[in-house]
Amino acid sequence: MIRPILFLLLFIGHAQAADVLHLYNWNNYISDVTIARFETQCACRVVQDYYSDNEEMLAKLAAGATGYDLIVPTGNAVESLVRQRALRPLDKSQLPKLNNIDPAYLNTAFDPGNKYSVPYAYTLTLIGYNSARLRELNIPVDSWAAIFEPRHLEKLKGRVTVLDSQRELLAAALKYLGYSANDTIEAHWKQARDLIVRAKPYWAAFNASSYIKELTVGNIWLVHGYSSDIFQADIDAQNAQRGFRIVAAIPKEGAVLALDSMVLHKSGPRPDLAHRFIDFMLEGRNAAELTNLIGSGNPNLDARQYIQPEIAQNPAVFPDKTQQVKLEMLRDLDRHQRRVLSRIWTEIKLR
Amino acid sequence: MGNKTTIPSATRLTKWLVSGPPLLFLLLLVAAPGMITVLASFRYPGEFGGLAPLVAADPQTLQGVTLETYRFFFSDFIYAEVFVKSLFMALATTLICLLMAYPLALLIAHSPKKSRNLMVLLVVLPFTSNFLIGIYAWMIILGPQSALSQMLNGMLHLFGIAPVHLLFSPFAVLVALVYAHLPFMVLPLYTNLEKHDPALLDAAQDLGANAWQRFWRVTFPLSQPGIFAGSALVFIPVLGMFAIPELLGGTGDMLVGNLIKEQFLGTRDWPFGSTLSILLTVAVLLIVWLAVRLGGRGGRYA
Repeated sequence: MIRPILFLLLFIGHAQAADVLHLYNWNNYISDVTIARFETQCACRVVQDYYSDNEEMLAKLAAGATGYDLIVPTGNAVESLVRQRALRPLDKSQLPKLNNIDPAYLNTAFDPGNKYSVPYAYTLTLIGYNSARLRELNIPVDSWAAIFEPRHLEKLKGRVTVLDSQRELLAAALKYLGYSANDTIEAHWKQARDLIVRAKPYWAAFNASSYIKELTVGNIWLVHGYSSDIFQADIDAQNAQRGFRIVAAIPKEGAVLALDSMVLHKSGPRPDLAHRFIDFMLEGRNAAELTNLIGSGNPNLDARQYIQPEIAQNPAVFPDKTQQVKLEMLRDLDRHQRRVLSRIWTEIKLR
Repeated sequence: MGNKTTIPSATRLTKWLVSGPPLLFLLLLVAAPGMITVLASFRYPGEFGGLAPLVAADPQTLQGVTLETYRFFFSDFIYAEVFVKSLFMALATTLICLLMAYPLALLIAHSPKKSRNLMVLLVVLPFTSNFLIGIYAWMIILGPQSALSQMLNGMLHLFGIAPVHLLFSPFAVLVALVYAHLPFMVLPLYTNLEKHDPALLDAAQDLGANAWQRFWRVTFPLSQPGIFAGSALVFIPVLGMFAIPELLGGTGDMLVGNLIKEQFLGTRDWPFGSTLSILLTVAVLLIVWLAVRLGGRGGRYA
């Protein structure tokens, strides 16, 4: 029993002396194969720390966590970190493969000119459904109407979940009403609130985690959820031989796109390794591995050739040009807007 | 004389030694955070979470102290509504726990001494597995494909009633709240009931009291401290609970715990979150004070 521990201690001691890259990443957001390949290539070690939402990551950094070379936040969190002056500007001379990225995902509103961030992967917030059940019920799935209109929901009572997220649900409702997902006019928010309150009696729950399982098991038939979660539910349903598929669809009114980007935190001791890692992840093969693992959207044009055809042809992972223009990234709200939205959310929950 | 002065000083030292650690604990982990919460509630929220600075060099930045969170709370009934709803939920949980725990505690207290320890062990057995695992188990038990749901809905169907969803409902929340807090009611009740002198019951019987009278006039009044302790141990944590409504609740099951958590994590509004926490504490203290006063008036039996 003692010998392996000693060995482990020796190993840790040895590794600390070597080069270490500290990566602060989402849970399950990089393939082990990719990590192992980078480690052999750079003769260094990658130490990962995980978070499950942006707020958690921001809170941890705000509380003084340091030593992270690389973080992979979503757009609005990048914006937040930029304004806090917490990021190190990129040295693009060290990133020769940057032109692999689809220009549609560069020069975003949260980081004009990509001074700080390199796109990593994206997720869409869309509709996911049980193929067999919805075909049976003959409900159109190309619109948010399926989530919000009582005439459809009547057939789905108690079989629908929506995300337990103020911004995401509001964005879906705003989109359905024909507004921008980033609309901040209070009258429009109230319209969205009324739409949600009207649909709410038909929904089973506000849910941001267990809906994957509920979809797989067949308890829930229609969700407002993240594309990667719906992908996961589909894989699970296939593995369990459920006899139905879980399919994702982008509503024609548009949806929210969350672009996660690699950024260098100021406290990171190894910007050199971090740049190497970013350039490594810009290689198509490495970028593709994540998409093949979790079904995430991939902004890397060179990666397409390595992606499994079924995923590459899935319009909910790689939307076509007409759908792409209807996707919006969420911008951060100011403190007053946050408070007003929180009250509207409380009203939604209580009504 | 000399003796009299040394003994108190020695006892005083022991008193300090004994009460020191709990006092330190209370100061560091209850009083200090409480003060910080109070102070935070009068500040402006920071742009990235946290608090806006008290004084900033740039007059443009938000700074200083304010009453705006309190004004915001009282500007709308909605938050009071959440409080009332949570209070009712906590009250219901406490009552159900009491009704379920009392007979059980009585049973354990009246069993032979040998088996009592085993029975108490069985009561605390759920604590050996993680609380969240228990909650996830309830998700399976109450899910639409569970035997329970199918049986219930089969019966309802016979009477021509539409099927019900057990999971993601206030019912599911209540069930899990009772499940998670029942041992906290059983244990104080048991420790109280165990100490009752059986001679009192014998005396009551000799004086012609029937079983119900013996319970209602002797056992129940004597067990009031246990009831109070158990109720407090259930009522107060339930008010702060946010995990259960989040996992098992439906579209309307927001309790004040969820509201507070959301201010800190989702909305990044620490001052308002602090205000809600303080008002919750005030509400709890008020209720406990009221309960003690009412209990004090009625509880002069044995």
